[in-house]
Amino acid sequence: MTAIELRGVRKEFADVTAVRDLDLTVEDGEVYGFLGPNGAGKSTTINMLLELVRPTAGTVRVLGADVETDGVEIRRRTGVLPDGFSVYDRLSGRRHVEFAVESKDADDDPDALLDRVGLAGDGDRSAGEYSKGMRQRLALAMALVADPDLLVLDEPSSGLDPAGAKEMREIVRAEADRGATVFFSSHILEQVDAVCDRVGILRDGELVAEDSVEGLREAVGGEETLEVAAAGADDEAIASVRALAGVSGVTRDGDELVVNCASDAKTDVIAALEEAGVAVDDFHTREASLEDLFLAYTEGDAAEGDADSVAPDPDDPDSAASDRPDDDAAAEGVDS
Amino acid sequence: MSLPAVARKDFRETVQSRGMIALIALFSLLVSLLAFIVRPTAQNEQFATEALLSFFVGPVLVTYLVPLVGVVVGYSAVSGERESGSLKLLLSLPHSRADVVFGKVVGRGAALALAVFAGFLLPAAVLVVIPVTFNAGAFLGYTVFAAALGVVFVAISVGCSAAVSTQLRALIGSIGVYVLFVLLWGLLTGRLLDAVPGSVVDALPASARQIEVFLRVSNPTTGVVEVLSNAFLAEQLFSGETASQQLSAAAMLVFWTLAPPLAGLLKFDADDL
Repeated sequence: MTAIELRGVRKEFADVTAVRDLDLTVEDGEVYGFLGPNGAGKSTTINMLLELVRPTAGTVRVLGADVETDGVEIRRRTGVLPDGFSVYDRLSGRRHVEFAVESKDADDDPDALLDRVGLAGDGDRSAGEYSKGMRQRLALAMALVADPDLLVLDEPSSGLDPAGAKEMREIVRAEADRGATVFFSSHILEQVDAVCDRVGILRDGELVAEDSVEGLREAVGGEETLEVAAAGADDEAIASVRALAGVSGVTRDGDELVVNCASDAKTDVIAALEEAGVAVDDFHTREASLEDLFLAYTEGDAAEGDADSVAPDPDDPDSAASDRPDDDAAAEGVDS
Repeated sequence: MSLPAVARKDFRETVQSRGMIALIALFSLLVSLLAFIVRPTAQNEQFATEALLSFFVGPVLVTYLVPLVGVVVGYSAVSGERESGSLKLLLSLPHSRADVVFGKVVGRGAALALAVFAGFLLPAAVLVVIPVTFNAGAFLGYTVFAAALGVVFVAISVGCSAAVSTQLRALIGSIGVYVLFVLLWGLLTGRLLDAVPGSVVDALPASARQIEVFLRVSNPTTGVVEVLSNAFLAEQLFSGETASQQLSAAAMLVFWTLAPPLAGLLKFDADDL
């Protein structure tokens, strides 16, 4: 069964088209990361899943039912962490969770849920006194009521410190392991990389890419950039490097050579330089970071014709583990 | 059907507000003050419960204050949540928008009724204890009418609140209804009747007297204060010569409780939030 199915969805507001001809499918049990810069249409899409906003054209189906006719029934089986919500200042944290339990006709223990999201001991305080991060946790506790089949999380990490964001990821993982489908939006890439089976990138209301993180990385280009500190390299040495298979370009930058090459050609490059009698003092490889990847899709041309290359491979052993989600390119340094 | 959950949530929220205590205190104070004015004197051992109600509590407290409090309790119900963003939390749960609007009418209406009962009955408890003859039944019954009128204005304000996108607009709309029904009704309808030439009235299939009665029962305030509660104090509720008038007034109360939230819901249901 499909958890979320959007077909030809379009949403026009008075002065702007927020979403245009969006087709999106999320399978049961999948963890799907919905990426895009601010204003790309992520929240509008999520609001259409929740019946807060109605599409101008197209159909939105969630958990096998039509949102337009079965919204309440769908939301009974869905947990939602909305974006830009506020709490009921006068009601306590526990009352909030109790309200969600009552609303869903469930029998969860509110304190157990508060405990799970890290709010144990804060249940009696009125939610108006909560910090931004605590409100986010509280809404997550409400979303987890009644073990939903689908979790829709809109920018779940906003307001959370790094430790809170990590706990959020762990809860997402646990919910996915339980069998829930998780659909979450983010503009923070490390979130997506760490927990998602598949990501979709939205730009100007259109899905410009949809794949596993690894798949996207390959689509942008599997090339790496090798920076070699080799002061003594002469034109001959450079020519020999340039002649190697898998090397697409060599440029000199002061004492450094910048080599664009395939990942498996790196050792050949170093060997060729040493063979030409050049002392290699140091070298770095630089992999396209997630940030580069994201920018390539949301600003650059990488998106051309890629939207249909749907090839989820959640079992890819290389995925996620090797990347450093820094703003700077992930770098590895090796002394020679 | 999750209306009760919304109603309980809103009831709690309203009752826990600081304004609630202030309201009960204000009602208590005013009822006490008015009771003091009609206190038994040496010549008259009888405590004039009916006089207290029909000359003081009714025209002052119930006519002006209770509807105003209804407006204050109701106007922010939906628009306030819409502005703050808590509506997103609310509609993420399995509530239909009808559950939200009518749940709020029920929850906030109940909270207002509680305030009216507490505010009216606390001072009355003193009257029961001290050795004067006090018609507790009449007082209690009258409180029910006061609460009902308050609930009608809560419903009207919640309807306004659902129909517009900001609290300010909801407040303007609700106050507008208050001004029309409470302050200007007599003036406007009087003018209307005067302005219409007799020949036109004669042409209508109703007498001038019937039109006047119709206008009186159409307005929830006059319906409660002038028609229903007075009949109740005269021990002629739904009987006697004004029985049909009273029935109309009661029917209009039901209408004003249901129609504004329903109209608000129609608009609210079609909106993107």
